Amino acid sequence: MNKAKKTVEFKETISISEFDPGFKSDVLTHPDARGLNACFSCGTCSAGCPIHEVFPDYNPKKLAKMVRLGMRKEVLSSPHIWYCATCRNCVERCPQNVEFFSILNVLKNMAAKEGYAPAAWVKQTKHVMETGIVFAKEDSWVKKREALSLRPLKEYADKIRRIVEKTGIDKINPRVNSK
Amino acid sequence: MSKYALFLGCTTPVKVPQYELASRWVCKYFGIELIDIEEFTCCGINQVNLSIEAGLLMAAMNLALAEARGLDILTLCAACTGALAEAIEKLKDETIRNNVNEKLRDVGLEYKGKTKVRHISRVLYEEVGVERIKQKIKKDLSALRIAPHYGCHYLKPKSVFAGFEEPDNPKTLHELISAAGARPVKYETLGLCCGGKVSPVSEDLSRALVRKKLDNLADKEIDAMVLQCQTCYLMYSDQQKEINEEYAKQYNLPVLLYPQLLGLALGADPVKDLGLNLHSVSPEKILSKVI
Repeated sequence: MNKAKKTVEFKETISISEFDPGFKSDVLTHPDARGLNACFSCGTCSAGCPIHEVFPDYNPKKLAKMVRLGMRKEVLSSPHIWYCATCRNCVERCPQNVEFFSILNVLKNMAAKEGYAPAAWVKQTKHVMETGIVFAKEDSWVKKREALSLRPLKEYADKIRRIVEKTGIDKINPRVNSK
Repeated sequence: MSKYALFLGCTTPVKVPQYELASRWVCKYFGIELIDIEEFTCCGINQVNLSIEAGLLMAAMNLALAEARGLDILTLCAACTGALAEAIEKLKDETIRNNVNEKLRDVGLEYKGKTKVRHISRVLYEEVGVERIKQKIKKDLSALRIAPHYGCHYLKPKSVFAGFEEPDNPKTLHELISAAGARPVKYETLGLCCGGKVSPVSEDLSRALVRKKLDNLADKEIDAMVLQCQTCYLMYSDQQKEINEEYAKQYNLPVLLYPQLLGLALGADPVKDLGLNLHSVSPEKILSKVI
């Protein structure tokens, strides 16, 4: 009776009306994301994730939940979706056979189309279209190979450029100020 | 013996050519013929980040180039192995394969699903075999305590590598190291990822993973790490200097690719055949232990 009633302020409450109920369906249209509905948020993915261990803000379970709730903008604009090290522990250990790693790739593809791609991946793609590999040609490695009597590398980007251009990957712009 | 198209990948030929040098030497030693296909390009694994479709097309194009010559592919990089092997699985689906082939047709290629992919370590393990390796050993490596590191894409996805390895309890690289006469050492962070695939986006994150493994190995009296992927090599070897400066550490752990360790045991020249002079952390102190 003497106790003052604590007032709790939820400053960061997100209104459900801001969610996009179509987001999950959009993600699920890609066959690689099909397991998402089977997720029951047990968190085994996060528990086995080496990135989550060193950087807890990167949280596969949380991201999967956010997708299912329809938090389109929050997920696609999040830098965290690019922090996967691709080790696939989440896939191997999921009791429901949800392939979080593959779902994340679908999310990254969607985010890239909306202008959130890290510059590093855009640059690698540009190099692939020019040289056929993820690096721009450098004299130093040409010389290094010569010294070891290894065969010279030729640039064979023509075919790869012609087929890959059909996917629109070359039209993706990097996120402003990204690494 | 057998014949493979050698898939160099992007990084090995330009940043870790000593891995290519040693691999060619070891394959020649065991009569494994390697055919160079100059038109091979990037396997597409990183392009998946921006476009799953583009990544699959790139993998399929490389598979088709080998298939047109009637060859299976031998890889050096764990990630290329995973990307190509996974593409083979995906392309078993007729609808996906037809879609991909429609695009490949424009550059005169088609993938029918015949070409297989094998990493060099797996070829050594399954085709040459540990017994035959043991019979050929000329130098004594028994003084060397080695920390094996497998590489995530060498083991996973399990759906692709089932029947070969167990991701949580791998053994083939341990056996290959033993076959070369050295001693594989147990350690807790064996399965920890090198962080190579997050390094272009966040060096802080990849370095945190590298440090965890190096810290774990620090008190194990290890002579060298032995691994089977050039990206893992770059992470664990090249980053030691930066980590030492940034965190006041004194790591000086040589990192070798498996064909280099095997080459040493088989009597190859450490410099001319294996390029051990090109390492960011000098393996000189382990060479003195090889008798």
